[in-house]
Amino acid sequence: MKLVALIWSHKSAASPAREALAGVPLEYALTQIQKAGVQEAVAISTCNRFELYVAGKEGQRLDLSALYCALSEVAGHEISATVETREDHEAVRHLFAVSSGLDSLVVGESEILGQVRSGYESARSKGMTGKRLNVLFQRALYVGKKARAETAIGAGAMSVPSVAVQMAENIFGRLEGKAALILGAGAMAELSAKHLAARGVGRLSVANRTWERAYALAARFQGEAVAWSAIPEALAEADVVISSTGSPTAVLTKSIVADACRRRGGRSLFLIDIAMPRDIEESVHALDGVYLYRLEDLESIVAKNVSSRVEAMAAAGRIVASKAAEFDAWAKSLSTGRELSLKHSRRSSK
Amino acid sequence: MTLQTITAWTAFALYSAATFAAFGYLLSKDSRASRVMLSLLGVGLFFHTISFIAYLAAFWAYPENRFYLPLMSFYGALSYMSLALAAAFFVVEGRNRLGILGAFVLPLAAGALGLAVTFADPSAAPLAQPLRSYWLNIHPMLLMTAYAAFANAFGVAVAMLIQEAQIKSRKPTNLCYRLPSLDELDSLNGKVIASAYPVLLAGLAMGFAWAYYEWGRMWTSDPKMILALMTATFYGAFLYMRYVAGRRGRRPVYVSLLGFASVLMTFFGAELLSGRHVFMGGAR
Repeated sequence: MKLVALIWSHKSAASPAREALAGVPLEYALTQIQKAGVQEAVAISTCNRFELYVAGKEGQRLDLSALYCALSEVAGHEISATVETREDHEAVRHLFAVSSGLDSLVVGESEILGQVRSGYESARSKGMTGKRLNVLFQRALYVGKKARAETAIGAGAMSVPSVAVQMAENIFGRLEGKAALILGAGAMAELSAKHLAARGVGRLSVANRTWERAYALAARFQGEAVAWSAIPEALAEADVVISSTGSPTAVLTKSIVADACRRRGGRSLFLIDIAMPRDIEESVHALDGVYLYRLEDLESIVAKNVSSRVEAMAAAGRIVASKAAEFDAWAKSLSTGRELSLKHSRRSSK
Repeated sequence: MTLQTITAWTAFALYSAATFAAFGYLLSKDSRASRVMLSLLGVGLFFHTISFIAYLAAFWAYPENRFYLPLMSFYGALSYMSLALAAAFFVVEGRNRLGILGAFVLPLAAGALGLAVTFADPSAAPLAQPLRSYWLNIHPMLLMTAYAAFANAFGVAVAMLIQEAQIKSRKPTNLCYRLPSLDELDSLNGKVIASAYPVLLAGLAMGFAWAYYEWGRMWTSDPKMILALMTATFYGAFLYMRYVAGRRGRRPVYVSLLGFASVLMTFFGAELLSGRHVFMGGAR
């Protein structure tokens, strides 16, 4: 069997061809590919990649030039110059690496699995997948799940805001319905607000010495501006507090926090201090149910996650290699007439 | 070897294997270990149920036992408690997807059954005359059920203290991400104890009622009675702190741990001290 993967991805630099292809609706692209004389093909389209897996008939050369022509026309851009091609075993291996998240911009992200699935499903609904491509893509989805289940490839946040969110989830579970208080209205405060809002934090309050700036930031996130003098009351309500003011002295002292704790009915309080000099007194961390993380705490967690991600990548790479070899053996066994069996035990788990 | 002992040993082996799988899941990221644990536990529960039914049949073979449950012997009590513990975990885990807690709960289930198969006399005997009472029939069953729930809560509480220490340390290890969140553990601990507490009280009430009919007074300063009241007091204090005074965090959890310590003392310790609560079959 001849299998060719045509790849335009973020790895082959920022390419206008990739962007042009990614903008084309998948169904339309498939129709045009079919018209160019390709019977069996699956396209995967994300904002970082456009990939086409084309299967040819046994002993028959694939004519790619007609395909390039069709694709260039669809994209409105000359695309053959920047393509990267992989054949047979290398193509299989690449697809498995993609579905495992090994090839993603953010290694281990899980969206790609859904994108591979939807690419496969639209090709199948157009009748463009034969037995080999069907099995290949079902295997790819299986390998992607397996890699995530058996290695830490998808675990561990890689940036300070996402580590902060993850720690908040370790304390509160789901963040929906939780209240966040943001002290300061600078760029860091805005970024934090964005991350928290993305995780479904219910109520967002902003306090700043300048009321107008607090009001402006709060408005952008459908939050509520709080007067600087009302911080102690807001603290009794909040679950997560992110502080990044330019204040030269501590904004939250131990007595303010201890006082708020008495009115909180024992709920945990997660404080994040990313200001320099510090906004929150260190002694606050000793209070029962209060967890104070400073910028350097979050940074050291990021560093640890990055190094363990490297190990997980190696482990996931081994899974990809062994499953790709398994698939090859199966594909070869088809022509001998004694088909090997592939276990799809986890395929139906979701 | 009878069917009852063979299946009990099989269940014990399966519970132990499930415990190992639970630790495997705790220490690695491999989610297969969690499935293996649940499967082993499920099969173990099956064998354990057969074993308990066989024991029940042997017990009911004595016509005078016909209307009672075989929980008055050391073997029967341990076996029933282990069964209730494992079944409660199976249900709680299944509903909450908290397989990770197996490492904290399953050792107790395996331990209780292990004790039953190695140290307790598995043969059934007729109940002594004063024990043939409906009050006493339900009394141990309710208490064991409550104890099994408390043992599950104990596992949750230990996991919660570990998670709390992880977050407080600012240097979370992988364990931190694998354990459920602090709030979930805290509320599960509270809920399990809150639902088992009425069962405990009802079980104690049955015991007092029996004592009143049999001895003409409710209270005898029997060590087991004192310890059982201590258990009720500790868990009552926990529930008060948690739900009435609105306190959360480590301190109420410490009180719930004291409660479980007194459960263990009531169940095992009082055996050595108590004249009235010596189990019918006793230890071998």
